[in-house]
Amino acid sequence: MAKDRLHNLLSRVVDIKPGEEVIAVFFFLYFFLITAPYYIIKSLRNANYLEHQGVNRLPLAYFLTALLMGFVVNLHSKLQVKIPRRTLIVSSLIFFFLNIGLFWWLFQLDWKWVPVVFWVWANIFMIVLVTQFWILVNDTFNPREAKRLIGFIGSGAQLGAILGGMMAGSLAKTKASDFLLLIAAGMLSISIFIVLSIFAKQRKAEPEAEREAADRKKKSEKRAKAGFRDGWETVKQSPYLKLLAGIVMVTLVVSTLIDFQFNSIVFNVRGGKNLTSFFGYFNAGTMAFAFLLQLLLTSNIIRRYGIRLTLLFYPLILLLGSAGIGMVAFASIIPAILIKASDKSLAYSLNQSVRELLYIPISVEQKYKAKVFIDMFLNRFAKGVGAVILWLLLAILPKSSEIGITALGIRYISLVVAFIILGWILLNLKVGRGYTDTVKEKLKPAWERGDRLVADQVDVDYTKLVFDTLESKDRSSVLYALHLFDLIRQDKMTPELKKIISHKSDEVRMTSLGTLFDQGETGLGPEIDDNLSDEVLQKEIQEIMSLDSYQEVMKSYIGKAIDKSGAEGKIARMEAAKAIGLMNPDAPVVEKLEDLLADESPEVSHYALESAAALKRRESVPALVQKLSKPVLCEDAMDALAKYGGKIVGTLADYLGDSGENLEIRRGVSSVLARIGNQDAADFLSWELTEAEGALAMDIIDGLDKIRTENAAVHFPEEAVKSKIYGEIVSYCQNFVGSSTEKREEKKQGINQDWEKRQTHILESIFKLLGLIYPHEDIAKAYQNLKTGTKDSVAYAIELLDNILEREMRDTVFPLVEELSLEERMARCRDLLTNLAGGKRSK
Amino acid sequence: MRISPRAKNDVIIFDIEGEIKRSDITDVTLHQLVKDQLESGKRKILLNFEQVEFIDSFGVGEILASYISTHNLGGKLKIVKISKKLYLIFQVTMLTKVLDIFDDEESALKSFF
Repeated sequence: MAKDRLHNLLSRVVDIKPGEEVIAVFFFLYFFLITAPYYIIKSLRNANYLEHQGVNRLPLAYFLTALLMGFVVNLHSKLQVKIPRRTLIVSSLIFFFLNIGLFWWLFQLDWKWVPVVFWVWANIFMIVLVTQFWILVNDTFNPREAKRLIGFIGSGAQLGAILGGMMAGSLAKTKASDFLLLIAAGMLSISIFIVLSIFAKQRKAEPEAEREAADRKKKSEKRAKAGFRDGWETVKQSPYLKLLAGIVMVTLVVSTLIDFQFNSIVFNVRGGKNLTSFFGYFNAGTMAFAFLLQLLLTSNIIRRYGIRLTLLFYPLILLLGSAGIGMVAFASIIPAILIKASDKSLAYSLNQSVRELLYIPISVEQKYKAKVFIDMFLNRFAKGVGAVILWLLLAILPKSSEIGITALGIRYISLVVAFIILGWILLNLKVGRGYTDTVKEKLKPAWERGDRLVADQVDVDYTKLVFDTLESKDRSSVLYALHLFDLIRQDKMTPELKKIISHKSDEVRMTSLGTLFDQGETGLGPEIDDNLSDEVLQKEIQEIMSLDSYQEVMKSYIGKAIDKSGAEGKIARMEAAKAIGLMNPDAPVVEKLEDLLADESPEVSHYALESAAALKRRESVPALVQKLSKPVLCEDAMDALAKYGGKIVGTLADYLGDSGENLEIRRGVSSVLARIGNQDAADFLSWELTEAEGALAMDIIDGLDKIRTENAAVHFPEEAVKSKIYGEIVSYCQNFVGSSTEKREEKKQGINQDWEKRQTHILESIFKLLGLIYPHEDIAKAYQNLKTGTKDSVAYAIELLDNILEREMRDTVFPLVEELSLEERMARCRDLLTNLAGGKRSK
Repeated sequence: MRISPRAKNDVIIFDIEGEIKRSDITDVTLHQLVKDQLESGKRKILLNFEQVEFIDSFGVGEILASYISTHNLGGKLKIVKISKKLYLIFQVTMLTKVLDIFDDEESALKSFF
């Protein structure tokens, strides 16, 4: 009941799924409870330092912070692989909690060096705790969950900043100021319990098998190297991490330059009057804006535009702001306020959220090493680089004696900022692609098409010939001899095969199969005369077969055999059907093949089909097509027709397009076209795609998928494929909405299996069609993981689709595959039906 | 040829008796029986060849078609208790490269999990 109320409350501001409420609130509180104390500490840090050390000694604080950060990164990297994550985070919180108490006591002593130490410590406090927070977020959520929840979770920081800042501002003027640090310590102590609760909840939700796997992983992580250098090496070796590091660097350099422009313009326009009040209101305003942006828009923007587009928002807005400053310089304060407000609010909301999402698909080991290096060290280092660039610019730009820089100088800085932002946009575009590639790597293909696997490993024609040869041995010596000749003719009479077929007994009387190939003397004398060379034999037989007299005699013999009934007649017709396939296509006897193709016996027809495939006579095609409707001969007929290749594609297309033709024949023809697999075959199948329904449609879609799998050069008509996809989606939604609650209940109990089968078939067809117009392997991987994957691999599969499908297609396919409640899916299906079934996109 | 299906630990075992030959075909083919099981959601198929004397090219086609259909749906099809002679021919024709063949039912069943 309480959970329902919490769900209802949260679902007003965040797209939250049942069961996620508590963990999301815990993370929100965790972020809030580390940020609010920091903003109290930050106010005290600035005030104490400026009071005791003065503004001129600020560079000392910056320098010491940068120096110690390298040491902290090194120590943290080593600790995080030696001790469990839970212990590390909780110990860090306790450490900083005790430190606050220590500083409260030290401040009473009024020693001059305490503010210097406090300054450096405060920076380490924030960087360590925030990095650990995001590591835990990365550990807990998959990309889909993170995209939905990150806005809400991240808003905890903005709320903490607002409240922390307000508390410091209001209490600083009262007697309670002495206790500000203790208030901060109190808030931090609560976060310890929140973190413990998060770990307890994680442990509870983790299935036994996954927990064991995680434990094994943790043990292997412990053996990994650690340290500052290792973090640097990890980033250096990964192009994706290098891009991430580059983006962090560029972001902070731009931010430093913008900060300088803003301060210069504010100072120039407003003079030195009431600056504290101005900055106070400005900071409070931007943080409040960042909070609203984070809570209400961040997740929606990321979900609507995807990571790749969202990554561009921040630099593009700053580019516009920079152009504004470049145009007006000191003439107006508004562009400066807008760009600084955008920078500050976006940096803490949208940008941070997207940046954290970029880390999620990286392997755990890489993530921890890289994150600590980038977020803790590079973050600070980049600010230093920004300061150096600024110093160099100031050295060469026109100066003013009053405010240090002229309007022209401000414009030049805008130009530099604009150039850097263009580079930043390029990096963002690259990292967007890198993100998709990293998500792809997380998904393993579960299987590949079976027909491809078989074709790669087995020579099916040879295999069938071997089995038929052995089978013919007991039927007729003539048929057996014809098979042997066929094997020799095709140069497939291997020594191993010779041994098997020369075997006199049906049983292999050996204990070990392997020894058969090794033994030189089996005692089983070969029936084939090894002294007769294969080439000579082949030549002699072909010469005999091409003799006019032979043809005349055989024509008469086969004519009689066709009329002959009984078992003897059948054997004679089988021999004739096999023999014709070994002759020249122009030989007169070959005319008899059509009669043999029409034979009642499937064994005779089988040999006739084989011979038709070998001779490839156009006259045989209609008879072969008719065999597609016979279950026993269908496979042989498909093989035979496929061997004709591209020259009969047009003829086959006529059968496929003829709605009055037998359905089994049309289905068989679609399979043959798929086996031929050239561009013409794909075009004809695509042509029929929009008209076909039911089993034929499924066969055509499967055929197109086969062509796509085997021939990447073939193209498919995008509009026709999309139209079919929308049509299939309409069918899926109609089935879903149309089925009563009762039927779905039956489905749950396994009674209504037909309904489920139908939906499964439609979904399979949709993904096969998607694979025709989007990267085939990626779509196949996504589908396979959706069908059989764990919760995380399903999430990554959807994330991959999110990154490769166009927005319109994504919005249409996602309601079918996303994790939704029954009511939500029903509503989304209804919406889709309204949009699609109106005939706008579907046929 | 007679084919009788039975289930064991989520695996469907087809006990095949006789010869899988074009001439001995009954109303329903082996491939059709496998497809029926796949349609009903089964993904682990075991063909018991203990009573199979011989197969012809049609039989090979049936086994391969069954294998392809099973594999295309992410399932597994395996063979158990094949005669030494058939195994030898499977080896020569490289069928052993794609088909998992086991000596006894227990190890075949274990291999599915």
